[in-house]
Amino acid sequence: MREKIENLLDIKAGIDLGGGAKRIEKQHNSGKMTARERINSLLDEDSFVEIDKFVEHRSTNFDMTNTEAPADGVVTGYGTVDGRLIFVYAQDFTVVGGSLGEMHANKICKVQDMAVKMGVPIVGFNDSGGARIQEGVDALSGYGKIFYRNTIASGVIPQISVIMGPCAGGAVYSPSLTDFTFMVDKTSMMFITGPQVIKSVTGEEVTQEELGGASTHNKVSGVAHFIDKTELECIERIKELLSFLPSNNLEVSPIYDTNDYINRVEDKLNEIVPDNPNKPYDMKEVIGLLADEGKFFELQSLYAQNILTGYIRLNGKTIGVVANQPRVLAGCLDINASDKAGRFIRTCDAFNIPLLSLVDVPGFLPGTDQEYGGIIRHGAKMLYAFSEATVPKVTLIIRKAYGGAYLAMCSKDLGADQVFAWPNSEIAVMGPEGAANIIFKNDINTSNDPIQIRKEKIEEYRDTVANPYIAAQRGFVDDILVPSTTRPRLISAFDMLESKRENRPKKKHGNLPV
Amino acid sequence: MRKFLINVNGNSYEVEVEEIGNNIQRPAPVQTTPPAPVKEPTPAPKVEEKKEIEVSAGQEIVAAPMPGNIWKILVAEGQEVKEGDNLLILEAMKMENEILAPRDGKVASIVTKEGLAVNTGDQLVIIE
Repeated sequence: MREKIENLLDIKAGIDLGGGAKRIEKQHNSGKMTARERINSLLDEDSFVEIDKFVEHRSTNFDMTNTEAPADGVVTGYGTVDGRLIFVYAQDFTVVGGSLGEMHANKICKVQDMAVKMGVPIVGFNDSGGARIQEGVDALSGYGKIFYRNTIASGVIPQISVIMGPCAGGAVYSPSLTDFTFMVDKTSMMFITGPQVIKSVTGEEVTQEELGGASTHNKVSGVAHFIDKTELECIERIKELLSFLPSNNLEVSPIYDTNDYINRVEDKLNEIVPDNPNKPYDMKEVIGLLADEGKFFELQSLYAQNILTGYIRLNGKTIGVVANQPRVLAGCLDINASDKAGRFIRTCDAFNIPLLSLVDVPGFLPGTDQEYGGIIRHGAKMLYAFSEATVPKVTLIIRKAYGGAYLAMCSKDLGADQVFAWPNSEIAVMGPEGAANIIFKNDINTSNDPIQIRKEKIEEYRDTVANPYIAAQRGFVDDILVPSTTRPRLISAFDMLESKRENRPKKKHGNLPV
Repeated sequence: MRKFLINVNGNSYEVEVEEIGNNIQRPAPVQTTPPAPVKEPTPAPKVEEKKEIEVSAGQEIVAAPMPGNIWKILVAEGQEVKEGDNLLILEAMKMENEILAPRDGKVASIVTKEGLAVNTGDQLVIIE
């Protein structure tokens, strides 16, 4: 027996070495951790339990009979983060390039299925050269099975993809089907077709980094949500994200004790919005002043920066924030902002995270590129997502709220449970300048002093229509707040809304404009 | 298509400039049809300069993020700037939009001027 036990331990130790010391060193030299190191850094100490350690491929094509692939190139199992159970898999680049074959895929599918059954998040580390070509359609089928499970699990458990190496071809679709994608600067890349293919087809020359690096996907394409300099920083951020999320769609996010006073009156909020409505300010400061301990966990901070999305806590409870950023593109809604916000709102709704909408929006961005790009159907995503969401929805109008963009930022009519406005708000179909030109066209044209009369009419419009009182008289705004008292009021509103229940007609699923 | 008459060393050159729509990071391609003496490639500098802006490594184009008017230019050519510094103010959507430096560097050239109407993607400032 003792011999057999020693033999078992030897085998296990061998598998733990993955592709061997040399390849591990290479992995380290390129600034990357091994699959097991990544898992151990993410999970609480000694909490990792491995599954399917002994799985091997069964391909006999080409040189595969002689190819050893410990754990078939992917480490799978479960463990805890901050004491909460999660499932995890990590592709092992040191084992046949982390390539995905039949058994490799089966291992991933097994933990996906288990995560859904147990109702806990799954985190997948991607570091793979792609499909194991020797295994042909079996490898392809493997991807298909993973995508299918990603989709079935969508909205049931939080799914997190971490790109820590190459992720190319069909493999990229698993991350994009999941809820959050993390990337590491310079060492991770994602693309459907690589630089060589692009060069041979279109003649364009582009480096891997330019094409699909972390920077590209965080700034340009919006494919990724986070970028970090090192793998360890990335893993810390994953833990932080998990702290805001519930384990599944039937639970609520964990509540954290806060030292921040719930009745904190913040005088700075009375000063933060410039008197001149044409002056920008930083919406992040407003969010910081409202949130517990001033902390805003931002998603996609480099993409479509005219809208801010992310999580804060109010009285220890997670709240999803969607906010216009007047500093960028005047805070206009455009195609990318609508996409970003639409997706975020649905993520929050799926996981029972209440929504706070901070409004300072002059309208949708004008321009042929926007119209040709389909701003109509993209903007519709925001309207759809807010209307569809049944979580508590609170809207705070901070300054401008004009036209369709006012509605798209979760107006009363889209189902906001509480709408608050600050006294300087301008809520109207359009801005005073434009509206005055139309309504008082005749007065202005026939006047001796059109400039002066236009100015007067703009003021007249601003006084009579573009203020929060008209909207409040109609009940579109529930209350007008002294800005400094906003935090206590928001906390009270979300407390009141905690038992909110809203039933919708039974249907297979809605038809989100995509 | 807009036509410009450019004088270089006493020779005048007719230059046609075509504006392309939603092409962000790229400067408008410039075509020259020198009607007058085709001397050396002296007219090139004016043209090449723009081209250089596109290709030269280490330079970055700050382009207009949306249609509007240049209201105020706050930096001068040759000035050192830090990431996030305010380069100029673009008035658009009834808002004085601050156009910020994308990174630390020096203002290589200012391509726009105050009062000019610009479209999305038009070059404003080159940082190097």
